[in-house]
Amino acid sequence: MNSRNKKECVAMLLAGGQGTRLGVLTHDVAKPAVPFGGKYRIIDFPLSNCINSDIDTIGVLTQYQPFELNQYIGNGQPWDLDRLSGGAYVLPPYVKGKEGEWYKGTANAIYQNINFIDRFNPEYVLVLSGDHIYKMDYDKMLRAHKEKSADCTIAVINVSIEEASRFGIMNTDENDRIYEFEEKPKQPKSTNASMGIYVFTWSVLRRYLIDDENDPKSQNDFGKNIIPRMLGDGLKLYAYRFSGYWKDVGTISSLWEANMDLLNPESGLNLNDASWKIYARNSAEPPHFAAGSAEIVKSIVSEGAMVLGSVKRSIVSHGAYIGLGASIEDSVILPGATVKAGAVVRHAIVAEGAVVGEGAKIGEAQKAPIKGEWQIAVVGPGAKIAPSVVVAPAEMVKEGK
Amino acid sequence: MNDVMGVIFASDNESKLNELTIHRTTASLPFCGRYRLIDFTLSNFVNSGITQIGIVTRSNYSSLMDHIRMGRDWDLNRKNGGLSIFPPFVLNSSREMYKGKIEAIYSIQGFIRRSPEQYVLLSNSNIAMNLDFDKVYKSHFDSKADVTMLVHRAKTTTSRRLVVEEDAGVVKDLYFSQSPSEEKTLGLNVYLIKKDLLLSLVEHEYARGHVDFEKDILMKQLDALKINAYMVENHAAIVDDVRTYYNESMKVLDPKIREELFYGESVIYTKVKDSVPTIYKEHAAVKNSLIADGCEIDGLVENSILFRGVKVARGAEVRNSIVMEDGKIMENSSVCYAITDKNVTISSGRTISGYESYPVVIVKDKTV
Repeated sequence: MNSRNKKECVAMLLAGGQGTRLGVLTHDVAKPAVPFGGKYRIIDFPLSNCINSDIDTIGVLTQYQPFELNQYIGNGQPWDLDRLSGGAYVLPPYVKGKEGEWYKGTANAIYQNINFIDRFNPEYVLVLSGDHIYKMDYDKMLRAHKEKSADCTIAVINVSIEEASRFGIMNTDENDRIYEFEEKPKQPKSTNASMGIYVFTWSVLRRYLIDDENDPKSQNDFGKNIIPRMLGDGLKLYAYRFSGYWKDVGTISSLWEANMDLLNPESGLNLNDASWKIYARNSAEPPHFAAGSAEIVKSIVSEGAMVLGSVKRSIVSHGAYIGLGASIEDSVILPGATVKAGAVVRHAIVAEGAVVGEGAKIGEAQKAPIKGEWQIAVVGPGAKIAPSVVVAPAEMVKEGK
Repeated sequence: MNDVMGVIFASDNESKLNELTIHRTTASLPFCGRYRLIDFTLSNFVNSGITQIGIVTRSNYSSLMDHIRMGRDWDLNRKNGGLSIFPPFVLNSSREMYKGKIEAIYSIQGFIRRSPEQYVLLSNSNIAMNLDFDKVYKSHFDSKADVTMLVHRAKTTTSRRLVVEEDAGVVKDLYFSQSPSEEKTLGLNVYLIKKDLLLSLVEHEYARGHVDFEKDILMKQLDALKINAYMVENHAAIVDDVRTYYNESMKVLDPKIREELFYGESVIYTKVKDSVPTIYKEHAAVKNSLIADGCEIDGLVENSILFRGVKVARGAEVRNSIVMEDGKIMENSSVCYAITDKNVTISSGRTISGYESYPVVIVKDKTV
């Protein structure tokens, strides 16, 4: 433990999520690598938040489909994380001594990397997840943690009482000290939903991770095991209230909604903020081109895209192609996707490198979600849709149709 | 291409680029919405494996330094080789800025001599093209020439161009032309030459007070040297005055030329600025235009190029124009046949109009 390597706070980003609810979009990539907003990927948000919060040492825990994510993060240069000391580290599970094992749960993933964290001898560890879209100053949260001499600080956001039963709810006293944690309560007592962002005092967390690992009945999960045990032992757990845009993009419908929020100035999601830039690995493409036949309104278009058709209330990502007479509405076209002439795309996500054939019809226009879920049609990465084929709302096409 | 080093001259024809180069070198002239002219040469070099690169500047080079920084965006932050930028007055004995390429090369001869590579690729920075220099290197060897110069077929205009008379790739005659004419074979001011030969030629002419590489070396030595002409078939743009800047910019709206320039053998890199993608609002109407990231468009844009961070307000009209970074075209204003430099504001209701043959230039940071 070299004191010259010391970092006050090390961030651990849980990026191993399989993201099964995103279906074909996460068939070949980890959820944090899913493209977002025309030129970003989901993981750009926590990584950019870290560097903007002056946290320059980040362990990225991967295990499911890690190649694309590993390649994307590389040496961390796009986020200014190529440092002499600290920086971004991709941490897959590895064989230690005789045995090696997969990360069994969120807490186990950190447990398996105790040695990594110890190398920086930090006072605090920030645990993040790789599946939310938000801009947050973690440094403010860290300061709140220090001011209260807390053992653990959990970021919470106020949700509506109807939504509350979908989240982990933190019940707090008047000083924001947490006295009870309820996972998806049927009768929520409060509306403080956990955002899955934790600051721990490392010496305390380290002890609990080792105890938790020695408990064969534990599921090795922060929400299910570590937090309840800390509460049971009377430790000082505080809620840190966050107000601002925050969205879990764990489902197709919510991922689509978060993309659409970029088009709505009232949504609170503004990425054009010089004081809080979201960084991404750049694809080195020329500016996008709107042809003489193009019609683009209320939309976002990124570099390298070529638009000959009509685009309304949609996101066209870098390198995408929208053919002559094609019509895109309320949809997300991911990087390098091709929508050929005359195709009609409504309330859909067309994934990376997918090809929608001439005159194909993807999805249907919708006025409102059904039971909270938009019926988004999804054309999977690299999938080929033959000319004039119809893809129904909520249908997912993996390879072709 | 491990045996070739690159030397780029950052300043050419700055006097003819008028307002566009008051604050910058020709190399750092913004081009095609998100690039600077030098990005093309740098990217071609890097993609061809030329990673020992010297850039010779003459004046106003702070914008160039700001653009290139340590060369990271071109993968040129290397332990071996990478970028060396030479500010003016590198020579202790020089009392003024270099007047021509001979002086420039003479002033950095130490750098050239010390580099391990045996060949030097000399390039001006006012060229936009996409080229694999491996092929040039091979052609140089196959032709057993002393010098290989890049040429292309183009019409001459009123700007000074080097006309090349060649026979089966061997250069027979060279002369300057400054009057408009039919398509001819013209030099692109890019030369591949063996290091020792270059240094001895330069030393010889420098001692006699000569400065012009083309006039004092190539033309004079036409009989003594074997000069190989390498024909660049793809699009190559030479920018040497305001009019060619405008015309060459507008040519990029043509899909075929864009294909050749950006999707050829090289990936063209530039400084990454992390702008957000462009937002089109309710009243946007954009036709036949090249739009960089970070713009906000609620007006009409036709046959134009918008650089990063340009705002076109509702009711504003931009036609046949080039709007550089952070330009603001306010409500109900109109811009036609214009080049507005960085951070120009066209106030509400104002009309700016030039002519196709004489586009009006609005200088950096001005509010109209």
